[in-house]
Amino acid sequence: MIFRRKNKILSDNELMRLIVSHDQSAFSKLYLRYKDRIYYYFYRMLGNSSDLANDFLQELFMKIIQKPENYNPAYGFKTWLFSIANNMCKNEYRRRGVHTKFQQYEVHEEKFDFINEQTVETKLVIEKIFQSLEQLGQEHQSTFLLRYREGFSIGEVAEILEVSEGTVKSRLFYARKYLAEKLNYLKEEIEF
Amino acid sequence: MNKKNPDHFFSQLLQNDLIGKPDEAIENRLMHSFLLKSAGLKLKQNSFTSYFGWLFSLQSIGFKAGLASVILFFSVINSNLSPDTGKITGNDSLFNKRILVADSTRWIKSMDSLRHDSLN
Repeated sequence: MIFRRKNKILSDNELMRLIVSHDQSAFSKLYLRYKDRIYYYFYRMLGNSSDLANDFLQELFMKIIQKPENYNPAYGFKTWLFSIANNMCKNEYRRRGVHTKFQQYEVHEEKFDFINEQTVETKLVIEKIFQSLEQLGQEHQSTFLLRYREGFSIGEVAEILEVSEGTVKSRLFYARKYLAEKLNYLKEEIEF
Repeated sequence: MNKKNPDHFFSQLLQNDLIGKPDEAIENRLMHSFLLKSAGLKLKQNSFTSYFGWLFSLQSIGFKAGLASVILFFSVINSNLSPDTGKITGNDSLFNKRILVADSTRWIKSMDSLRHDSLN
């Protein structure tokens, strides 16, 4: 067809520009692009609570609806988005006073019904890792997640968390060491 | 036994971590909010509030002062070009009575005030 509309994949910056001019489909695309990743981040950062993760996910995208012009295209959208998510988590920790309140989850076998391809053993290892990271602190947990789950570079993690690259490296090293001490399984599997 | 690189190990482990999907109702709520915001902006476009706000604010004061000066200047010049300038009219009600006729010849008026006065 001569006048067929091209399904060009728009960049995050282009979508944000369209959102500023009230393009709803651009917003929908951006939401679908990032919802799972942001949900995962909130879920892990806020004590494995799906309710909290859903609330925070909605709040974050509401912020984008209300003030899309706050985004500076000179910076990476992904970095900006995760820095907002991280600040929201920090505020929540501050609001609750002590972050140990989140350390109330347990590993429930019935929660794993939706995971077919993931073995219960692997799942238990992951849960143990996050339990240990929570004991270590929110800063180490966010650094660990952004680096290993989201695949951000050291520089990008530093930008999101507003710390130096040296601090990021130190946190990662300390987190790995702490996990190796806590989980004997890891000592056998990986080289420290 | 070959031990794995820790960076690679943790990346692989977390990449394969599945926790489920976010609530689908969130998308609907967000789209509704987006529509509401867009509708609100469209209504705002039809109001003069922002225009009057700008007009009576100190924003672009130089431009506004310049525009006011130009308007004032042209209004003064325009009144000076009027054929009635300098003409002293008596308070005679008969004299003031004018019949307005759409006469196109009157549109082109003499700029010679002496001649104009002498004709009257």
